[in-house]
Amino acid sequence: MEALLDFARGPLFRLSFAVMALGLLRILIFDLYGAIEAYRRAGDKTMPWNLVMRRSAQWLLPINRAFKNRPAYSLISILFHIGLLLVPIFLFAHIQLWHKVIGISWLSLPKVVADYLTILTIICAVALLIGRVFNHSSSFLSRKQDYLWPLLLSMPFATGYICANVGVSPSVYQLSMMAHVLSGEIAFILIPFTKIAHCVLMPFSQLISTLAWKFPPGTDEDVATTMNKKGAPV
Amino acid sequence: MDMRTDKINAEERERAFVSLRKPEVVEKQKLHVRYHVEDYDAEDRPRAFLKAFAAILKHSSYRMALDHFIRMSAKCSRCATTCQVYQATGDLKDIPCFRSELLLSVYRRHFTMGGLLRGRALGTGHLTDDKIQEMAESFWNCTACRRCSMECPSGIDHGLIAHLGRYILSEIGIAPRALVVSTREQLEGKSGNTSAIPVPALIDTLEFLEEDMLEEKNVAIKFPMDVEGANYVFFPAVSDFLMEAETLMGIAAVFAATGDSWTTGTGYFDGINYGLFYSDRILERVVKKIDAETRRLKGKQVLIGECGHASRSAKYFLPTYCGGKDAFPVINIMEYTYEVWKEGRLVLDPTIVTQKVAYHDPCNIARQRWIIDQPRELLRAFCPNYVEMTPMGENNICCGGGGGTVSIDEIRPYRTTIGGKLKADQIRKSGCEILVAPCANCKKQLRELVEDQKIDCEVVGLHDLIYKAIVFDDSLKVKEEQPQEVAEEE
Repeated sequence: MEALLDFARGPLFRLSFAVMALGLLRILIFDLYGAIEAYRRAGDKTMPWNLVMRRSAQWLLPINRAFKNRPAYSLISILFHIGLLLVPIFLFAHIQLWHKVIGISWLSLPKVVADYLTILTIICAVALLIGRVFNHSSSFLSRKQDYLWPLLLSMPFATGYICANVGVSPSVYQLSMMAHVLSGEIAFILIPFTKIAHCVLMPFSQLISTLAWKFPPGTDEDVATTMNKKGAPV
Repeated sequence: MDMRTDKINAEERERAFVSLRKPEVVEKQKLHVRYHVEDYDAEDRPRAFLKAFAAILKHSSYRMALDHFIRMSAKCSRCATTCQVYQATGDLKDIPCFRSELLLSVYRRHFTMGGLLRGRALGTGHLTDDKIQEMAESFWNCTACRRCSMECPSGIDHGLIAHLGRYILSEIGIAPRALVVSTREQLEGKSGNTSAIPVPALIDTLEFLEEDMLEEKNVAIKFPMDVEGANYVFFPAVSDFLMEAETLMGIAAVFAATGDSWTTGTGYFDGINYGLFYSDRILERVVKKIDAETRRLKGKQVLIGECGHASRSAKYFLPTYCGGKDAFPVINIMEYTYEVWKEGRLVLDPTIVTQKVAYHDPCNIARQRWIIDQPRELLRAFCPNYVEMTPMGENNICCGGGGGTVSIDEIRPYRTTIGGKLKADQIRKSGCEILVAPCANCKKQLRELVEDQKIDCEVVGLHDLIYKAIVFDDSLKVKEEQPQEVAEEE
C-alpha cells in the first residue's frame, strides 16, 4: 500500500499533471491560433473591444448578470467554483508538497476556512447534480459527463476532508489518501478532453464569438469553386 | 426578468405547425418542413451536406468558432430561460443549446480527429438523413434573434450556429423558396430588387408621395433620384416603397427640414439582404451591389432605412466584403435623425402624437448595442405618453419574425402563435396604442401578430410619427397659390 501510494503521489501525479498542463496548453494554443488566423483573414478588422471586454468580465465575475435568471443555480454554481479553485491551490498541505518538490510556496488558507470551503464545495456539487437531474431542460440536454463531473470532482474533496480531519486508523487513512490522489489524477487527465477545458478557454469566448462574425472576403467565389458551382444561377 | 408565460396548448401547437406542402412534394423532397423548398437533388443528402460543410469550413473562419464551442458547451440550459421560442412551446428540442448540438455533433464526428477515430472504431454517429431533416426543421424554428447568446455563460453564439447550419443546408438546396426567389430577382432579375419593382414604377410612386406631402405639409419635399456626389445614398428595405409610404415620407421630410443632400439610386435601391438569413455567399453578393451603387453615384455614405437586418448586413458586412476600413461608412436613418435633432435642426411638435407609444427594439440593431437610446430620446421628446416595455435594448424580445422567417408567408401561423407569443404578451402588458418598430421585418410580423392575437395596437415606424409631428421652418413653406402651379407643371 505504502509503495502504491508513493507511486500514485510520485510518477503518476507528475504524469497526470503534465497531461493536464500540456493538454490545456495545446487547446489554448489551437484556440488562440484560430483566433489570430481568423483575424488575419477577416475583411473587417475593427473589433468592438469595449463590448467584448465588458461581456467577458460579466461572465468571469458573473455577479450581476448571473442572477437575472435561475438565481439559485447561479449562486450554487459560483460558490462551487470558488471552492473548486481556492481549496486545492491554497490548502496548506498542498503548498507544503509543492514546496518540497519545487521549492516555492505561497500563502495558505486557514484550516478552518479550508474545511468549511471543502464541505461547501461538496454540498454545491451534489446540489448541482440534483439540479441537473430534476430540472426538465437541464436533464434533457445532459450527457454522461455532465453527471459524472460533479461526482468525480467531489471525490478528492470528500476524501481529502477525511484525511485531514477524521482521526481514523492508518489503514483507513491510507485508503482515503489513495482515493484522494487517484480521483484527483483522473480529473487532471480528463480536464483537457472534456468540458472542463473551459477553465482556460472561458476568457476568450466573447472574443471568439465576435470574431466568428468577421467573415473573410471572397468566400462566395471560393466556396462556389470548391463546390463546382461557379457561375451557377441563384 | 422572469419570462415565464403560459405554454401554448395542443390545439395552438397543431395550428402553428400545420404544413401547406402537398404530401407528394414532401415525399419527393424527403423533407417534412413547413416552408416550401424548390426541387433539389434529394439523393444522398448526407454526403452532399458533408461536402458543402467541408467546402465552407475550408474557405471561412467557422472552424475556429466550432472548435471553441464544442469544448465549451456545458449544457447548463440557461439559454432555455431566455429563448422565446422554447418559452412558448415548452418543447425541449427548441432549447438553443440542443439546436446547436445538432450541427456541433456533425462537426465533432466528421471534422475533428477524435470524432473521426471514435466514429470509425465504433462505426456510429455518422450523419443520417433523419438528422438533416431535423436540422432543416429546427434551424427555421429559430428567429435568429441571438438573445440566447447574451445568456450563455460559455459565450456560445447559438445564432451563429443556426446561421451556419442554414448556410450549409442552402448549399444543398434546402432553403425557403420565398427567400431564394426574392434573392434571384434581386441578383439576376430585371428589376434588381427583392420586391421586383421596376424603376418607372418606383419613380411614379415617389412622385405620388411628393404630391401628397406638398398637399399635407405645404412644403416641397423631394425624393432626389440619381444625384451624383450626394452625402447619403439611401437604401431602405425595398418593400417600404410598396407598404411603408409614411415611413418614407417621414424620412424625406427630415431631409427637407435639414437640407442635407441625399439620393436614391435607380441602379440599385434595395437594402434587403436575405443572404444574412440563409447563405453567406448571397450575403456577400448583395453587399457588393450596395457598394457598387454608392460608388457609381460617388456618394459619401450609405444610409439604410428603417430595417434591422438591412442595417446590420450593411454596417457589419460592407467593411467585411468591400475594403475593410476604406469601405463606405454606414448609418441608419434613426442615427441621422437623432443627430440632426440634437443639433437643433429638426423641430418636433409634442402635441400631435398623444396616444400611448412604445418602442420595439429590432434585434439586428439593438443586440450589439448599436442603436438603443437614440430613438427613445426622440420619442420621449415629442410623445408625451411614451411607455417602456421590459426587457428592452440589448435584451429585447424579438418580434418573432426574425431571421427571415417573416418573409416566409406559409409559416405565419407558427410566427404568430409561437415565435411572437412572448412579444404579444409584452405588447399587451404595456397597453400601448402605437407600437414603434423601426424595421420592415418587425413591422410586418408585429402587424400580423397583433391581428392574429387580437391586440388593439397600431404598428408604425419611427419616421411615421416624425412625419406627423415635424414642424417646418416658414421659409420652406410653399405659398397658398403655388401648390396648384406645381401640380400643373407636373
